[in-house]
Amino acid sequence: MVTLGDYLLVSGILFSIGFAGVMLRRNLIIILMSLELMLNAANLSLVAFSRFRVDSSGLPNYNAQVFVFFIITVAAAEVAVGLAILVALYRVRQTTDVKDIRQLRF
Amino acid sequence: MMRITAPELEIAVLVLGMVILLVETFATKIDKRILAFAAIAGLAIVLLASFFVAPSPSPDQATGFWSFYTADRLSIFFKQFALVTTIFVLIMMADYAPVVRRSFPGAAPQSGLGEFLTLPIFTCLGLMYLVSAIDFVFIFVSLELVTISFYVLVSFTRRNPITLEAGTKYLVLSALSTAFLVYGIAWIFGVTGQTNLYRLTEALANPAINHNAALLGMGFVLVALGFKIAAVPFQIWVPDVYQGAPTPVTAYLSVGSKAAGFVVLLRVLQPFLVLPETQRLVVLIALLTLIYGNLAALPQANLKRLLAYSSIAHAGYLLIGVVCFDVRAVSFYLVAYLLMTLLSFAVLIIVAQQTGEEISDFDGLARRSPFLAFAMLIGMVSLAGVPFTAGFLGKFYIFYAAVLQRQVALVVVGVLTVGCGFYYYLKVVRAMYWQSTTNIAKIPVNGLSRLAISALILCTIWFGIYPQPILDALKR
Repeated sequence: MVTLGDYLLVSGILFSIGFAGVMLRRNLIIILMSLELMLNAANLSLVAFSRFRVDSSGLPNYNAQVFVFFIITVAAAEVAVGLAILVALYRVRQTTDVKDIRQLRF
Repeated sequence: MMRITAPELEIAVLVLGMVILLVETFATKIDKRILAFAAIAGLAIVLLASFFVAPSPSPDQATGFWSFYTADRLSIFFKQFALVTTIFVLIMMADYAPVVRRSFPGAAPQSGLGEFLTLPIFTCLGLMYLVSAIDFVFIFVSLELVTISFYVLVSFTRRNPITLEAGTKYLVLSALSTAFLVYGIAWIFGVTGQTNLYRLTEALANPAINHNAALLGMGFVLVALGFKIAAVPFQIWVPDVYQGAPTPVTAYLSVGSKAAGFVVLLRVLQPFLVLPETQRLVVLIALLTLIYGNLAALPQANLKRLLAYSSIAHAGYLLIGVVCFDVRAVSFYLVAYLLMTLLSFAVLIIVAQQTGEEISDFDGLARRSPFLAFAMLIGMVSLAGVPFTAGFLGKFYIFYAAVLQRQVALVVVGVLTVGCGFYYYLKVVRAMYWQSTTNIAKIPVNGLSRLAISALILCTIWFGIYPQPILDALKR
C-alpha cells in the first residue's frame, strides 16, 4: 500500500535533486531542467495531498489539483522566456556555462 | 453616477495594454515614443478612476471570485501605488529610448521600442492583481505575471553582455524562488487543506494541526517572498541585476516589485502570526538585512549598485514595520521609498546618458545642471532620512512602532545603520556640490521629465511635512 508519506518522500527527493542541480551544475540548460524538476516535485506533493485529503463527501480536495494545472502552465511560460534569454546569451557569448558569465563583480 | 468596481480597473489596464500592443504592430510609421505617452495617459485615467472605487470590507466567508480577490483599502491604495510607479517608469523609459535604440544595431530604427514601452503595462496589471490576491493560487499566478514580464524587461537590451548576464541571473534565481514558493504552498495546503488566506487563519488556529509542517511551508514561502523584497540572505541577485538591467527597469524592480512583495508578505504572514516562531524568524531576517545592506553599500563607487544596496537596506527598515505588523507605517514608508527612489533613478537616467553611472561621473553636477543636482540632493537626503523629507517620517513611524512593541534590538541596530546610511548617501551629494569637473557642458532635460522630477521633489518634501493624506487614505 503506497501511503502519503511515500509520495512526500519521493517529492522531497525530487526537490533536493533539483536544488542540488541548480546549485552545483554549471550548464544553464541543466540548471533550467533542475528548476523544472523542483516545480514538478511541488506538483507531486500537491496531487498527493489532494488525493489523500478526502472530505466528508468522499471526494478529494480538488483545489490543489487545479493549482497544479496553473503551475504547469506558468512553468511552460517561464521556460519559453528562459530559453529565449539563453539563446540570446549564447549568440553574444558563445557559451551557456555560468563560469563564463561573471562580468558583474565589484 | 456610475459605480466602478475594483476588478474593472485591472480589465481597463489589460485592454489598454492590448490596444497599445496592436497599435504598435500595425502603425509602423509613427514615432514609438507616442505609445509611451498614450500609455501614460491611459494609466492616468485608470488612476483617476481608482479614487472612485468604494473599498469593500475584507470578506471572511466570500465565495467564487471574491474568495481569491479582495478590494479592501490596502489593495486599492497599492493599486494606485502600482499605477503611479508605472507612470513614472514610462516617463523614464521615454527618456531612455535612445539607449534601447542603440542596442538594436542594424535593425529598423525603432525596432524593439514598442515592446519595451508596452510590457510595463502588463507588469502593472500583475502588480495590481498581486496586491488584491488573498488566495495562494492567485498570489502565485499574479506573481508570475510580474516576474515573467520582468525577465523580458531586465534582459531587454540584449546585445549588451552585461544586461544579458543580469537577465540570466534574474531568470535562474527568480525561478528558484518560484519553486520554493510552490513547494511551500504545497506543504501549507497539505497541513491545512486550504489555499485561501482567511480560511487558513482559522485552520492554523486549530491546535490539532502539525505545527512543524506548517512552519516548514511558511519557511519556504518566506524564502520566495524574501527574494522578491530583497531581504538577506536572499539578496544575492540584487546588486548584479540592478546594475545590469536597463535603468528604468531597475527603478521599476526596486519600487514596484518590492512594494507588491511587502503587501503579499503582510497578507501571508497574518495567518501565521499564531505561531510564535514566525515573528522571531522575521526579526532575524530584518536584523541581517539592515546590517548587510548598509555595510555593503559603504564602499560602492557605482551609483546603480549603491542604490541596489540601499534598496536592501530599506527592505530592512520595512521589515521592522512588518515585525511590528504596523500596516500604516509600512505603507507610508513604501510611499516615501517610491518618491525618493524614483527621483534618484530619474536623475540617474538623464545624467548617465551624458556621462556615466559612477559616482565620480556626478562630479560638479551642481554647476552643469543645478536642477538635476537639487533633485538628486532631495532624493539622497530623503533616502538618508534627514528631517522634513518623506524618508525621515517613514523611518520615524517605523521606529515608533518598534519602540511601542519593545523591539529593542531592532531599534538599536536600525538607528545605528541610519548613521551608516548618511555616509554613503552624502558621498553622492559631496560629488555633486564640492567636487570640481573639467566637463562643464549643460545637461538638457526635456519638459515631461522636468515636470515628473519637480512633482517628485515637491511630494518628497510635502509628505515630509504633512503626511496626513497618506495616513488618511489607509484609515478612512
